[in-house]
Amino acid sequence: MLDTLKNSFVECTGRERARVLLDKGTFRELLGPFEGLESPHLEPQGIVPQSDDGVVIGKGELNGNPAVVISIEGSFQGGGIGEVSGAKIAGALEMAFEKNKSGNIIYPIFIFDTGGVRLQEANYGLLSIAEMSAAIVALREYVPVIGVIPGKIGAFGGMSINAGLCSTLIITREGRLGLNGPEVIEQEAGIMEFDSTDRKRIWNTIGGRQRVAAGFADIEVEDDISSFREAILSAIQQGAVERPRSSQVERYLSFIGSVNTSEVLTPQKVQDLWAESNRYNSDESSKVTDSSVIKIKSRGHRWFNLLTAGSKNIGVAPSVLCSDAIIGGKPVRFLAVVPDESSRFPRARSGEFGLEQGWMIAKHIRDAIEDDRINEEKRAIIAIVDVPSQAYGYREELLGIHQACAAAVDAYASARLAGHPVIAFIPGKAISGAFLSHGMQASRLIALDDDGVNVHVMSKQSAARITQRTIEELEEATKKVPSMAYDVRSFEKLGALHELISGIKADEPAGADRDVIYKSLITAVEDIQNSPRDLSRRLTSNFAKEGGRSASIIVRRKLAEQWY
Amino acid sequence: MEKLSFRFPATQTLESNAHVGVVGSGDLEILMEPSEQGYADVTVRTGTTGFNQIWKTVLERFFSNNDVSAIIKINDFGATPGVVSLRLSQALEVGRNAGYAKK
Repeated sequence: MLDTLKNSFVECTGRERARVLLDKGTFRELLGPFEGLESPHLEPQGIVPQSDDGVVIGKGELNGNPAVVISIEGSFQGGGIGEVSGAKIAGALEMAFEKNKSGNIIYPIFIFDTGGVRLQEANYGLLSIAEMSAAIVALREYVPVIGVIPGKIGAFGGMSINAGLCSTLIITREGRLGLNGPEVIEQEAGIMEFDSTDRKRIWNTIGGRQRVAAGFADIEVEDDISSFREAILSAIQQGAVERPRSSQVERYLSFIGSVNTSEVLTPQKVQDLWAESNRYNSDESSKVTDSSVIKIKSRGHRWFNLLTAGSKNIGVAPSVLCSDAIIGGKPVRFLAVVPDESSRFPRARSGEFGLEQGWMIAKHIRDAIEDDRINEEKRAIIAIVDVPSQAYGYREELLGIHQACAAAVDAYASARLAGHPVIAFIPGKAISGAFLSHGMQASRLIALDDDGVNVHVMSKQSAARITQRTIEELEEATKKVPSMAYDVRSFEKLGALHELISGIKADEPAGADRDVIYKSLITAVEDIQNSPRDLSRRLTSNFAKEGGRSASIIVRRKLAEQWY
Repeated sequence: MEKLSFRFPATQTLESNAHVGVVGSGDLEILMEPSEQGYADVTVRTGTTGFNQIWKTVLERFFSNNDVSAIIKINDFGATPGVVSLRLSQALEVGRNAGYAKK
């Protein structure tokens, strides 16, 4: 019989999606529903868990090519990433990396259907997403990491950054890709900035067709199983991509630079600018800002000035400071994101991590990698982290803020893999997408023990709105679940911190404080030079082993057992 | 969230594990595992509280029509009684047909 009806891929459940992509009879699920690996954090909060925690890991073959499919079930908790689901994904990517590295080719196919971090597990999601990023960047050198956004939910939050790191991104017209969901932008920036009920505007901003036309995705597919398979196969045949999107700093910088921010920006205009950016030559941004004339407006800025001790700021954008120095005989490059009242992008004037910040951070890191290419000793890259949030805005989404974040993530991870000791020093706020982009790829995280040091995934107001709780209910929940709390002491219990330093005047640091931090940085650099270049330390620390990351560790162990 | 337990006598064992559904709006997830105990042991976790009697009625009806000795876990996200019965039938069909695979 002639089969003229199309076979919808979008309508499939997460498990069916993994199964139908693979050749018939080859699908084998790892860590399936009967393994008893559900989230341990939901039931205590009165939320019904799902047996697979909303992630399916399937091994099999695609046209005879060994493949591992990671498929997120968007219907369960909006595809949100918690500790178990996050560890399943990160663990699968890490395993795929190990296998490819040792010569056994296996193609990773990553199906996104997620709102980002699962707010009920908050910082566990943040940590897992950073671990996925690290694995994608490492893996991409060997095989293409193929991202698929079929649609229903799409790829949002920190997971949009991971989509931005993929070698090839396949999307349907119904697929959506953006850092901040419309509701969150409306909550954070007001209804004038983005009306979350304006469907047409949403599709024209973050919908699949616009994303392909404006340089943020590669292949638009029809919602048909065979179309998805064909698109994935073409990506496999293409092989590892030499210059993934998130590493194309020059082109995107000129693209962002060509935007006239005093005009209304339409989706069509963005498509035109993207097409032109291929030819556009940017050297207009070569003027260097003298940081001494910028008024100090943030804690991060104060620390930057103190730690760089008068070294010249070579940052190009006023909001991104960059300076080379020698501490304890070791070459280092300091980077900080600071407020800039006169930024062309109004939503990124208070120190938020936005478009220019992402691409500029990436540029400064990549310059250092290039300069040190032949040097035996690679300079340390030190991110000074005081970032209140990512920038929430319509223009930001239209111009792909998720991709700017991915560029920074990619640069930090690439520096780490190239042998640069990468350290995040956290004297202030480390929030959400901003922290993922600026800090979380560091080999070591060093924070100050201070009330002004916060680590979290979303403001309380937005988190309350999205999880449909009152702020009081939310605060009640954070008392029971350390990963949901905002303070750095709670974050420390998750095991990701290398050091928490007390007795420092975080707001008004002086010379003595600088000496303490220098000492800690130098020790960390030496420690890094004798350890693996991945993020494994976060899972082997005492806090992690003693309960902070129990589920993450068990998931990885079981995954390795079942991987054959 | 509420956790409910039920037990119904049974004689016939299930052939294989069965897993159906998702914990998504208006739906539920069911896991059935074969058991030699001679009971259908049902544990329900539901986000919609206060429906004990309805669960009891729906499950009693299902297990009086279907003799199955199994451990059954139900993770519910606001499924209606009709959806619950359909999913139970589906799970049973999967569990009685070892090797059955969707699509």
